[in-house]
Amino acid sequence: MKKSIFRVLSVLIAVVMFAGALAACKPAEVDPAEVAAALPREETLYYAGLQWGSVVGWNPYSSNNNNALAVAQGANARIVMFETPYMYNMIDGKQYPLLADGDYTWNDAMTELTFTLKDAAKWSDGTKVTAEDVAYTFDTHIKYETSTGVGVADYVEDVVAVDEKTVTVKAKLNDAGQAVNPLVVSAYVSDNYVIQKAWTETLEERVAGDAEAFKADPGDDAIGSGPYMPFYDDDTKVVLIRNDKYWGKDKSMWGMLPAPKYLAHTIYADNNAGFLALKAGEVDISQQFNSNVQDLWLVDNLPISTYLDDAPYGLTASLPTAYFNLKSFGLDNVAVRKAIAMAVDYDTIIANAMTNQSPTFNQVPRSVMNPTDGEQALYDHAAVADLQWAGNDVEGANKLLDDAGIVDTDGDGYRDIDGTKLSYNAVCPNGWSDWQAAIEIVAAAGEKIGIEITTYFPEWSVYQTVFTDGNQEEYDIFMVWSNGAGPTNPWGRVRQLMSSDFAGTTGNWNGNWGGYVNPRIDEIIAEIPQTTDQAKLVELYTEATEIYLTDVPSFTLMYRPDQFYTVNESVWTDFPAATDGRNIPPMNLADGYGVAGLYYLTLVGD
Amino acid sequence: MKGYRKYFGAKLIWFGVTLVAAFMLNFILPRLMPGDPVAVITQRVTQGMTSQTGVQKVYEEYANLFGTTKPMHEQFILYMGNMLKGDLGTSFSQYPRPVSDIIRSSVWWTVSLQFPAIIVGWLLGNLLGALAAYLKKGWDKVLMPVSIFVSNLPAFGSAIILLVIFGVQLSLLPTSGGYGFDLIPNFSFRFIWSVFVHYQLPFWSIVLISIGGQAIGMRSMAIYELNADYVKYARFLGIKDRKIIGYVFRNAMLPQITGLALSIGTMVGGALVAETIFSYPGLGSTIFSAVMGQDYPLISATTLIITLMVLFATFAIEILYGFIDPRIKAAQTEQ
Amino acid sequence: MKHILHEAFRSPKFVTGFVIFMAILALVVFYPLFVTDHPLAIIGQGTFFPPGIYVSVYDTTNAPQYTMMLPEAEGNRIGAKLGDVEREAMREWLIDFGIPRAEIDIDDTAKLMTLWDAYYDPALRFQGMTSARQKYFARLDASLEGLLVMEPRVIAVPNTETGAFEASQSIELTDFVNVNEVANVRVLPLGTDNFGRDMLTQLVSAIGTSLQIGLVAGTVATLIGLTLGLMAGYIGGLVDDVIMFFTNLFTAIPGIVLLILISYSIGQENRGAVTVAVVIGVTSWVWTTRAVRAQVISLRNRDHVNLSKLSGHSIFHIIFADILPYILSYVVMAFILQISSGILAEAGLSILGLGPKTTDVPTLGLMMRWAMIYSAHILNKWWAFFPVIVAIALISFSLNLMNTGLDQVFNPALRE
Repeated sequence: MKKSIFRVLSVLIAVVMFAGALAACKPAEVDPAEVAAALPREETLYYAGLQWGSVVGWNPYSSNNNNALAVAQGANARIVMFETPYMYNMIDGKQYPLLADGDYTWNDAMTELTFTLKDAAKWSDGTKVTAEDVAYTFDTHIKYETSTGVGVADYVEDVVAVDEKTVTVKAKLNDAGQAVNPLVVSAYVSDNYVIQKAWTETLEERVAGDAEAFKADPGDDAIGSGPYMPFYDDDTKVVLIRNDKYWGKDKSMWGMLPAPKYLAHTIYADNNAGFLALKAGEVDISQQFNSNVQDLWLVDNLPISTYLDDAPYGLTASLPTAYFNLKSFGLDNVAVRKAIAMAVDYDTIIANAMTNQSPTFNQVPRSVMNPTDGEQALYDHAAVADLQWAGNDVEGANKLLDDAGIVDTDGDGYRDIDGTKLSYNAVCPNGWSDWQAAIEIVAAAGEKIGIEITTYFPEWSVYQTVFTDGNQEEYDIFMVWSNGAGPTNPWGRVRQLMSSDFAGTTGNWNGNWGGYVNPRIDEIIAEIPQTTDQAKLVELYTEATEIYLTDVPSFTLMYRPDQFYTVNESVWTDFPAATDGRNIPPMNLADGYGVAGLYYLTLVGD
Repeated sequence: MKGYRKYFGAKLIWFGVTLVAAFMLNFILPRLMPGDPVAVITQRVTQGMTSQTGVQKVYEEYANLFGTTKPMHEQFILYMGNMLKGDLGTSFSQYPRPVSDIIRSSVWWTVSLQFPAIIVGWLLGNLLGALAAYLKKGWDKVLMPVSIFVSNLPAFGSAIILLVIFGVQLSLLPTSGGYGFDLIPNFSFRFIWSVFVHYQLPFWSIVLISIGGQAIGMRSMAIYELNADYVKYARFLGIKDRKIIGYVFRNAMLPQITGLALSIGTMVGGALVAETIFSYPGLGSTIFSAVMGQDYPLISATTLIITLMVLFATFAIEILYGFIDPRIKAAQTEQ
Repeated sequence: MKHILHEAFRSPKFVTGFVIFMAILALVVFYPLFVTDHPLAIIGQGTFFPPGIYVSVYDTTNAPQYTMMLPEAEGNRIGAKLGDVEREAMREWLIDFGIPRAEIDIDDTAKLMTLWDAYYDPALRFQGMTSARQKYFARLDASLEGLLVMEPRVIAVPNTETGAFEASQSIELTDFVNVNEVANVRVLPLGTDNFGRDMLTQLVSAIGTSLQIGLVAGTVATLIGLTLGLMAGYIGGLVDDVIMFFTNLFTAIPGIVLLILISYSIGQENRGAVTVAVVIGVTSWVWTTRAVRAQVISLRNRDHVNLSKLSGHSIFHIIFADILPYILSYVVMAFILQISSGILAEAGLSILGLGPKTTDVPTLGLMMRWAMIYSAHILNKWWAFFPVIVAIALISFSLNLMNTGLDQVFNPALRE
């Protein structure tokens, strides 16, 4: 009995130990016949940081695909499988033609936008992309009330096929006969995919007109016009394969095929797993916040780089912002708001929470603009210079409060208004690490100016039900993201920061979460989309900035990229970089004009 | 035998009652969590949407779809009905993917990681414990403190240390996933090799911490048995040492087998930390992401699996013990 | 009791455990007397400063200066910037540029630098060179700037009227300061964490909190377990069945899952250290209950208990006088184990982001969590996570050693 147990035991242990030792050595040369089931490394571009969790579907009408590599519409639409008429380039703010042939034109009244489609444009099944496809896509979005349809219904009246190749986008008109918002109309042509009519009809037939089923259909058979098609997906990865008949190799577009045969995205469990893979050369391009990313080349000497060589390492385009709840006691007082905003040590937020992956407020002074050149040119820097603050100004903040008569009357160390202590919570979702670190530093600032600020990190699912409720009184100072770069910004961002349309609304995902009301800013928000004169625009944006910095309804804590961008040149090289003069934005080689990067990639050593 | 049947019957009834209660708790507990999963889905689905009414509409659609607006007892009846039909429901966080599909794709990773790890840890631990008890002195002096120290490393601690040493510093072994990042599952040598290599770090991190505990337990039991009267008597009778030791260890093994059965029962819960740190695509990771995504049907289903495994393991042990150890049976049937 | 203690202190295992534990405790108690900083104060702008002695650069210029002619000074200075790797890299670039290998002597610093200065062009990117490599050479070039210059460095201050810089002090290559004479020196034995906090100060404070958490969790779990176990075992019958039902129920829904669900539910605002400790205690009494019950069942029919029953003693009397003393040793050992598993449970929860809220107090689990979030283990910032793992292991090791020691005292058969 005993003997046999021990014999079995020792054999088992020996096997496991031996196996473990074997595993520690490099695997032996692999038989070429077996490679078929693997993606050749030299033909595959690996991503990280886009896709979390397994793919649900490929249906471009659905907003529930969880398929970030293939389906993502918006200001910088991801155009590897489906394509938009135009590609937005966040560097210069221009829209470049993709399916469209040349620039679009507005009619004189700015109510109709017209463009033609390229003759070469074809679907992956070989049929031509027609104006009817574009029109039918819009009609379908409206008919089935997709999130796209619902989003544009207030601004776009109709999309019509004038002839086989010509499309007109008609704006919704206001009472004065003007387009409600020409900005949203022009954004329509770069935000939204063109979807094949024939496939759409197949789908409609399959679901027998049921809107729910239509939007929930996984759409595995979806047909796109882009350079890649679905190849493989499971719980651990998603892979696209190049369509070698892609129409874009025509001279009228790229004139060639994109370099990688496969685009693959391993599904990592968390940031660290993706970070390790990037370090190991298993990832070519990473859209993750990798803290202290510079250590990868400075310390580890790996062939890894970011868009810019030095801090802030990337193009930042959005403004994570802390909103003041104007219903909270004392926060209706602008002196309190401004004092808190002035006392915060933004340099520490940027150095510690963001590990320097954001410009400082000395480098890019605060306004309603993101740090891109295009937006920075839209306001008069000198006119608002006196209003901008760089932070950590405890003395100034204390003086501001003292002058406003807000002092500590009962000697408890905290300032009071009418005998009530100023005490707030500062809130952001749990697990959003860089924000949490930033909020901690905001709280520390309160201590220095005699205002009690405690931090609170609820779970995201709780957080988002509270902050979207315009009547909530639970959160006093809370963080929300901002619009990044896109054809409707910075107008969209001004609206998001201050429009009274959103004040006090429930289920508010749009903006002005603190409940700020100012009739003048509403006039400006209404006027900007109708303004085409550059000087007038600058004047309006400058005034908006003045109002924002004077009334401080919220304050920006840092700048953040739309998409983080770190590349590993172990296999591929010639990724877009700031210095290459190609004007390609660091957008995953897939989003908006960022897709152009796929055509410049080469293999290391070639 | 009549007493035994009574004992068995009573056990079975309590087993049934526990199962039902656990089943209900599995349903209710996740739904008591604060927050609104439908709002999370709405947020995901309506990103970039500017229209207020549009967002509200999407929210209502999903709320109806998942039935979260219905009162709890109605939801439970629905859930029961579906469960009887073998339908575990649809995942919230990965809608419209069925829960059974998610579980099917993760459960085998966990089982094939944990089962061998537990067995190997148990065998190694018992071997070391027995050696310590038998050889005493040298082995015991060194082995015991080391075992205790290693078994006191927190689960994530040993996982991280293995990850840093073998994954980051030496780059010998892959640190995440179930197989190579460049592979697609198939029956080639390369794929199997890749699975095997990816298996190593999570496997050893589990084995490492379970060895110590088992060794300590086995040593105590073995020493206890070695000093028992029957051993002295056997020695007195001149029975061969090897034979005695065989008996001793077989007796000492009994309680250890209980521990083995239980740790097999609880393996899914135990896999959580190792799976999270090594991004292993198993059930532990699934539970965790289900909780974070407030995916009620998925949480209920995964906890149900654990519940069933634990209940069967405990039940089996009690029944087995009823056969083996008359003392317990006597205690049970006494009243 | 005295006898047990006496015996315990003769067990080397118990003594070792006890000494380690007391050393940890002493650190927690005495360290704050010497370093009075708040453990969560952010002192560094930037993340993960490595362990070492930090000397104020500004204050060194004001400290008394000494002149020392050290023969190795120049070699060290050049070596710090221009190691073997850098020299090889420069040769590689020069060869790619077209300089014959024979003409490049990488051991002769002056010659190498002359060649480099003559030919290096940051705009050049040779065939097969990645842009990361190109940037590496640009950085290398920048770091070599002024390497061979022997002139002193001049510190200049702006003139308050004209704004022009005026030389105020010149620093020779041979100038030294004594660290003891610099006004501001800060020793960071374990560096800083991702928030720029002093790791050691935080670690000590966290050990204290984690010990408290363990103590509270252990007490709660042991009390519940003991009470239920006594009731189930002694009273038996329906009470036993009901208690065993709940015990089985709690076994069937594993502690960690329950712990995660409860922690998630109470929300981060309410998750103070004590709350988390209580939650841990409430979910981990099951094994104590089972074990106590088993012990009581075996005691229940002993003669002295039956005698006590016959004498008409109350249940409480019987439990406290005739049963509890016999299982006390076991309960003490279970308690010790519960403390260490409580500490482990907090750490596990925190790693998953469900531990105590972050700003209140540091705990070992929270420190681990933040180190992981900021990828300390991937970026080789060992000081941010390794001391934490060691601290947890040491606490739980010492407790378990004491436990094993006690086990041998209570069960003489186990003694060596």
